[in-house]
Amino acid sequence: MKEKRKGPLSRAAGLAEGMAATVRRMQREREPRVLVYDPAGYARLVQPEARGHDRIMEVAEQMLTQVAGRE
Amino acid sequence: MAILTRVDDTLTPERAAERLRGLSADVRAAVLLDAAGSLRGASDDDYDDAQALGDLARKLFEEVDRATRDWDTEPPEQVEVQVPGGAVFGSRTPRWTLVAVARRGALSSLMLYDLRAVLGELEGGPQIRRSRSAAERTPGPDTEEHAAEELPMPELGGQ
Repeated sequence: MKEKRKGPLSRAAGLAEGMAATVRRMQREREPRVLVYDPAGYARLVQPEARGHDRIMEVAEQMLTQVAGRE
Repeated sequence: MAILTRVDDTLTPERAAERLRGLSADVRAAVLLDAAGSLRGASDDDYDDAQALGDLARKLFEEVDRATRDWDTEPPEQVEVQVPGGAVFGSRTPRWTLVAVARRGALSSLMLYDLRAVLGELEGGPQIRRSRSAAERTPGPDTEEHAAEELPMPELGGQ
């Protein structure tokens, strides 16, 4: 079956959807989170409610503050 | 002459953090700790600042180990913490721990790759090869071997 050819409006809408999805993905990647990776490279999320999560975030924030203070 | 150049290029613990910063413009600062958790190298020249960052880097992995000690997996080798305004990435081997503070928007996969590449080189793996600008290049034949030396990505050795 032949695919229906898209008009300029559909193509523009498709592009906009793609860009919106990219922006959403980038925002999601920058959300506060803790990921750990095993030696094989598999990632595992430390859940926000998990023990130690807040301490890890705290230490990381202190590191950023430390670096920002001398820039 | 070749021997002298080789010795000069060997990555030492003192230069590892600076090497990492040279690989990625997203790295704001980096520190290297030894197996005992002592500071062995920093991208920053200020000793006190480097020491403070080193202490935090050691604490980071202590907290990671505490948070994951009940997991039925091997201890994490790498960690990524995204916080408002930036991110912290860490990677370790039995001998070394390398931690970097990165700018917001740094690509996680690349950061983790670079960390592992620098540690790999420090452990005696092949030297990371970096691409050079056209102006720096020495003229040479257009062979595949020559082109391969211009790979834009660092290479992991022996892995």
